[in-house]
Amino acid sequence: MLVVDGVSYRYRDAASPALQGISLHIPAGGIYGLLGPNGAGKTTLISLLAGLLTAADGKIALHGQPLATARAANPRAIALVPQDYAFYPMLTVTENLRFFAGILGLSGAALKTQIDSAIAFARLEQVVAKRAGELSGGLRRRLNLAIGLLGQPQLLLLDEPTVGVDPQSRHFLLESIAALPAAGTTVIYTSHYMEEVEAICQQIAIIDQGKVLTEGRLADILASPEPVLDITLDRELPADIATRHTASASGELKYALKLASTAELPRLLDELAVTGCGVRQLSFGQHDLEQVFMRLTNRSLRD
Amino acid sequence: MSARLLALWLKESIALLRDRHGLLALFIMPTIFILVMTLALRDSFTPGARIDASYALVDLDQSASSAALSKRLSKAASFNRIDHAGNLDAARAAVLAGRLNLALVVPPGFGERLLTPGGADGKPAEPLTLLLDPALSPALQLAFRNQVMAALGGVRADELTHKAGKLFGLPVAPGASADKDWPDEIRSEAVRRDSNASLPSSVQQNVPAWLIFAMFFVVIPISSIFIIERQHGTLQRLRAMGLPFRLVLAGKLLPFFVVNQVQALLMVLVGMYLVPLFGSEALQLPSTPALLLAWWAVSAAVSLAAVAWALLIASLAKTSEQATIVGGVGNILMGAIGGIMVPKFIMPAAMQQLAALSPMAWALEGFHTVMLRHGGLTDVLPSIMQLLAFSLLSLVAAVWLNRRALAARS
Repeated sequence: MLVVDGVSYRYRDAASPALQGISLHIPAGGIYGLLGPNGAGKTTLISLLAGLLTAADGKIALHGQPLATARAANPRAIALVPQDYAFYPMLTVTENLRFFAGILGLSGAALKTQIDSAIAFARLEQVVAKRAGELSGGLRRRLNLAIGLLGQPQLLLLDEPTVGVDPQSRHFLLESIAALPAAGTTVIYTSHYMEEVEAICQQIAIIDQGKVLTEGRLADILASPEPVLDITLDRELPADIATRHTASASGELKYALKLASTAELPRLLDELAVTGCGVRQLSFGQHDLEQVFMRLTNRSLRD
Repeated sequence: MSARLLALWLKESIALLRDRHGLLALFIMPTIFILVMTLALRDSFTPGARIDASYALVDLDQSASSAALSKRLSKAASFNRIDHAGNLDAARAAVLAGRLNLALVVPPGFGERLLTPGGADGKPAEPLTLLLDPALSPALQLAFRNQVMAALGGVRADELTHKAGKLFGLPVAPGASADKDWPDEIRSEAVRRDSNASLPSSVQQNVPAWLIFAMFFVVIPISSIFIIERQHGTLQRLRAMGLPFRLVLAGKLLPFFVVNQVQALLMVLVGMYLVPLFGSEALQLPSTPALLLAWWAVSAAVSLAAVAWALLIASLAKTSEQATIVGGVGNILMGAIGGIMVPKFIMPAAMQQLAALSPMAWALEGFHTVMLRHGGLTDVLPSIMQLLAFSLLSLVAAVWLNRRALAARS
């Protein structure tokens, strides 16, 4: 279990903090999604977890131990797969893996086993002798991931691991990542692609402007506590209806209206028709993450 | 520690072997420079070597004295004599056309007035005339004038001796000649520790000079790899793997130190075996183990300075292009003021003082101390200490710059 407790971080000379009192509870053995728009603070949090930055306030503990202690006890416990292609383009796939395995202190049979296992996991067998700089975007992402798995980490930090890859490679990467918890690895997965997070994560946190907007089981977050009607009208919503249904505007003539129960929906639509409001579009039922984010921030995730 | 360092060394070695431009700068460039510069400057380092400037003698006197003067000038053999200018106009035309650099005109009556130049008969003696190509360097003009003056003095002395002998009725030994060849009265000796060494040659000056220059060019491959590591986030990944930055630096120091030593070996072999194929003298290394050790100590210190300098440039530069420009221009400037491209002794005094600021000059001084003056370890210690201090300062600055960059990101 990884616990992030009230962690704040401010970059030098930055006007506002990148993280403000973030608290997360990340259970062992699953895929935990960190969702948020660009600049939300995801990479800062990942850097703190990877030991690249040190939190100004708050605590981070892995299995009950302070993070630094846990890393010192087992330097391979946490692995980072950065957003960049962090390897050597002039080296072949095998040479890259051998180099990073050496940096992790692996040698002899253990080194060979781990390299073979990483190659098999990322299905890089066909390109092992190819220079990394000559690989396609998808294969580079796989190599980036394979390097992260060399030390058999307990916690794998994946920072936007599918950026810039074709749909086929993305599908392969997501499938591969989804299989990691079965091997005992806890994955923290950052992305601004909601569909990816929805596809593979069991637990998520939505972060924006350095704060956690919501955290919990994905199913719980998607299941709205009270029915919400997302509706687009052809004119402004009458004030009395807006007040009664605690409406929030989520765009031009777009509204999210809270309903007491599902039975209230036909009544509301009749009322709108009586007031002369034409309905252009509506959705009702389980939300997707885009809608959840919009409800929480009044902004689109991709803004 | 050792597995990590081994991994770093292996990675640097593979990366360097695949960097064709880097290898070209490290091995081919100095080989070409050594060959070209050794051949180009060969005569500048050889006392009494033939000077590639031509002259003709226009003898309008046709006397025994003018013939003696001509003979003495030919014996000096430093300038290239061409005897096709039969008269003054032809000589003037040849100089104008660039076929001749100099023409010495011996006026009519030269022999008669050899011992009475002031004009004992009331008529002033007509002087010798030197026709000059204005493009000829003043130093060569002066050298030729001095040769003519020396030859003239010799002819006068012979004539005086001859006349004095006749006047006093001294016997002349059979076979004795008025233009007797005197042995060289000036002997050049290079001052060094042992006595059996010869004068430095062009190859002994140029091999260490261009070796130093090439060693400093490790800035290109080092910075290229380092900047890729920084830009691709590989340094961050290595940090996340718990690799301290000092180990990253150590991982670069040894492979490039070895590369520098391979360069040294190859350039020495070029000087010993390739340069003689082009007609120049072979490089001579010191013959005793103590001197060889001193030579290697200088080479090792140069290598540390070059690698540390490269790491500093790599830390300063944001892109490979910047590193190539800053490192390359920096090396050329250090070489230019440090006596690599132009030997220090040719420079004016002010430039020679400026040269003392260049690490390449300290390195060259170290090599020259061993190779030319046959100095030992204690003699090269000042150069080595200067280079080590430079290495240390560069490394400290590189670490500081990286820490600062990290702090700016955090």
